[in-house]
Amino acid sequence: MLGRGALSFPTCLVLSSAILFLSQLMACSFNPCVEVIPNITYRCMDLNLSGVPAEIPPSTENLDLSFNPLVSLTSNYFSEVPELRLLDLTRCHIQTIEDYAFKDLHKLLTLILTANPLQHLGPTAFYGLASLQRLIAVEDDISSLADLPIGHLHTLQELNVANNQVDSLKLPGYFSHLSLLRFLSLKSNRISSISTGDLAALQGEKKHNLTLVLSLNDIKCIQPGSFEGILLHELSLRACFENTGLMKACIQGLAGLQVNRLVLGEFRNIGRVEDFSNGLLDGLCQVQLQEFVFISFQRFDNCTDTLFDCLVNASTIRLVDLSLDQVSAVPTASRIHHLEFNTCKFIEVPAKKLSSFKELRVLRITNSKYLTGFREKFKDLPNLEVLDLSVNRLSFIQCCDSYLKRIPKLKHLNLSFNSIISVTGGLNITELVSLDFRHSKLNDFGSFPVFHCLGKLIYLDISYTSSHIASQCTFSGLKSLQVLKMAGNSFQDNNLGNSLMNLTQLLTLDVSSCKLTQVSPSTFKSLTKLQELNISHNKLLAFDPLAYKPLQALTVLDFSSNQLTVLTEKAMESLPSCLVHLDLSYNLFDCSCNHLSFLKWAKEHGELLKSTQLMVCNNPVHMQNMSVLSFDLSSCHLSPVEWVMSVSVPFAGILFVILIYKYYFLLYYGLVLHSGCRRYTDRNDTYDAFVIHSSKDIEWVRKELAEKLEGGMPPFQLCLHYRDFIPGVPITTNIIQEGFLSSRRVIAVISNHFMESKWCSFELEIAQSWQFVDGKASLIMIVLEEVDKVLLRRKLGLSRYLRRNTYLEWRDQEISRHLFWRQLRTALLDDKT
Amino acid sequence: VKMFNSPILLLVLFYLRLSTEWPTHTVCKENNLEIYYKSCDPLQDFAFSIDQCANILTNTFNIRAAMILRHSITELFLNVNLMLNGKSVLGYSKKLCEPNGHRFLFCGKKKGEHIYYEGPVKLGIHAIPKGVFKVSVKLNNGDHLTVACAEFTITRYIQQ
Repeated sequence: MLGRGALSFPTCLVLSSAILFLSQLMACSFNPCVEVIPNITYRCMDLNLSGVPAEIPPSTENLDLSFNPLVSLTSNYFSEVPELRLLDLTRCHIQTIEDYAFKDLHKLLTLILTANPLQHLGPTAFYGLASLQRLIAVEDDISSLADLPIGHLHTLQELNVANNQVDSLKLPGYFSHLSLLRFLSLKSNRISSISTGDLAALQGEKKHNLTLVLSLNDIKCIQPGSFEGILLHELSLRACFENTGLMKACIQGLAGLQVNRLVLGEFRNIGRVEDFSNGLLDGLCQVQLQEFVFISFQRFDNCTDTLFDCLVNASTIRLVDLSLDQVSAVPTASRIHHLEFNTCKFIEVPAKKLSSFKELRVLRITNSKYLTGFREKFKDLPNLEVLDLSVNRLSFIQCCDSYLKRIPKLKHLNLSFNSIISVTGGLNITELVSLDFRHSKLNDFGSFPVFHCLGKLIYLDISYTSSHIASQCTFSGLKSLQVLKMAGNSFQDNNLGNSLMNLTQLLTLDVSSCKLTQVSPSTFKSLTKLQELNISHNKLLAFDPLAYKPLQALTVLDFSSNQLTVLTEKAMESLPSCLVHLDLSYNLFDCSCNHLSFLKWAKEHGELLKSTQLMVCNNPVHMQNMSVLSFDLSSCHLSPVEWVMSVSVPFAGILFVILIYKYYFLLYYGLVLHSGCRRYTDRNDTYDAFVIHSSKDIEWVRKELAEKLEGGMPPFQLCLHYRDFIPGVPITTNIIQEGFLSSRRVIAVISNHFMESKWCSFELEIAQSWQFVDGKASLIMIVLEEVDKVLLRRKLGLSRYLRRNTYLEWRDQEISRHLFWRQLRTALLDDKT
Repeated sequence: VKMFNSPILLLVLFYLRLSTEWPTHTVCKENNLEIYYKSCDPLQDFAFSIDQCANILTNTFNIRAAMILRHSITELFLNVNLMLNGKSVLGYSKKLCEPNGHRFLFCGKKKGEHIYYEGPVKLGIHAIPKGVFKVSVKLNNGDHLTVACAEFTITRYIQQ
């Protein structure tokens, strides 16, 4: 073993180095680009490629070649893929782009050149890009906009040259030709000053849609007049200023600018301006702006004392991520109609101060993790329509009437994602259209009608509010309600009951995750307009067709994650005709052949059913987790042979039984004959003779025959059916067993009665055939009286027998009687042992 | 000899697989505290340092991290888990970037861009108890793709 191990060591070395080599080779020679969409989208990221791989089809529209060492783009580099719409050349070590490199890409919309150390760009490098809309040249060592040969790209809408070494905002003349340009980012460059005339190329009628991002440039100076007469959609100047003084001065340099949105501020953890000192934003008085965004500014020692001074003419103010803990001064007159405090540090809703913004239509105070109290009341906000206090930590006791009653036009109230809302104060806000309480704990709700006055409410969201709906009239008064979302709550007896009775206008209802076990037949009675119903994540065992019948307008039904085993035929029939989306995933389907009609229906309605791959069988065990739609219907169908078998086998069985019943005697008799009469004949004969007679001749048999033969000398033992047949055994069995098999001779007493009796003729027939099988004359005929000739002729066998064989006749004369007995005794004595 | 080939092959493959693991970097090595980290992102390693390890115990400390993005981070989620025997016993998650309102400098950066972050971090605990801790840090973007992944090993000694 040791020797072997030692031997294998060099093998191991060779093998491992070979594998290493092979793996390297594989990485180089095979380029398994990911085919995201066949013939359209390919991702060849980080594959050590040095060009467009040969296997990329010419129809490709989106090609990701990022992280490959292309190094240099020569002319007509992309001639094999002329259909490209998007080309990603991120981090491809591209230093040189030669003339006409993109010549064939007439349809290219987006060119990404992020993080390439561009050193040489041919003057016609971007020729041919006739449709280019987005050019991303981030981190490309670009030192001047003038170096970019893009003046001819008239279709360009977005130019991103962030993180470069551009040191001047002097826009080259070609910008005046880029009439469609909407977005220009010069973020994180080296622009230190902005001078008059730098933006001259933007002066013109068409340029008012441009967003200019200058954030993260270390701006020391903005020459007054630089922005004079400039019209922008947005100007972003975040973290551009070293200190408060510089910021104040530079903002003054914006004088004359007309802008829809101005974004000032810094970034989280990049705070260079020491303080929001008085007059910091004074320069904004010279700027015409619609929306002002102030973001991530950490030092707010004097609150809002001068914050709004030059903003009274703006319409929208968004204050995001400021360490602002209270509103101190507010303008007495302003045109601000949209005010937002996002991620600020308020402890209480500053309702009193904010009530001074008389023009306010939208007020949002959101994402404040310190905001817990709502104690002040709003005073006269005649125009306020939207009040959004979501995602705070509010404990709002006695919501909402007294706090909000001075906001007469309030239409939208959002108190979602807070701590506790107690609605004991009543909701008397008659104009309210939408109300959102989701994920806030609702106290004192569910047992009495709080929405009574909200006749105009259209949208109500009380999802996950820990509500327990105990009263039928919880939703009474909501006569306009169209959307009710109340997932994650609970109902009395886990039954929807009649709580939704008043909601006649409802279009959308979400009662998912409500622990429901039952839906009453009358629950949806008044919801005839309902279009979307989500009743998923409950514990419903059945789909009651009666309950869902009123929902004739339903288009979307989500019944997933319940405990449904099957849809009954009635349920399938009662599904609304306009249903287009039915989700039955995550139920406990029973995929046995008993439910063939459902399984068949599911297969036929693949378009209606959603998330079908999650519709799996739970039963029977061997089919667990198999898709319901993959159920093999033919496994329940019988093959033609099986069908014929299944029909014919019982039929044959029944026929067999009938035949046995009908021919029991024949069969039994045949059996006896076949299995050897010898066995039977060998046995000791119990009787000397078996008497076949009609029961109407019983008198004669008993008085004459039995008395004479059994009482005479020697005595004969007769087998008489009325005396010797064993009760409880079929007559035929008795005839064979007791009669023929146990007797040596058979005496037939022929009379008119005999010929009329079926049993007698039957017994006679057996006796005859027995005689034939046995081969000896064991049958003794006694003709009792003058037999009716007509009857005799009819009994063909008997008349022939009588004609051919000797028989005894019973006569009235004494002498012939004597003869009769002697003959009979002789016949019986024959071979008696 | 053939008998040995397949185990050897497996061994070699295993070795190859192991070799793609990133090296363990040292962040702190002081008398009473050692911190190491290793990238668990199969695509790349990253750089991370703490300005003064002693400051970790005084609540706020400065970190520096640098990496190249393999995925855009218009949205970014941070998940930190304290691991004990391979299982998470304490978790913390936070949304760092939102599509609108980029509070952090790096928010909104795209694939291929370079990230350098420098800033204070608050641990929120006043003392690190004695023992060895593993902390898993994951950054995912809005498409649930891994932006960065690291496993930190923190060893705390209590000096007599």
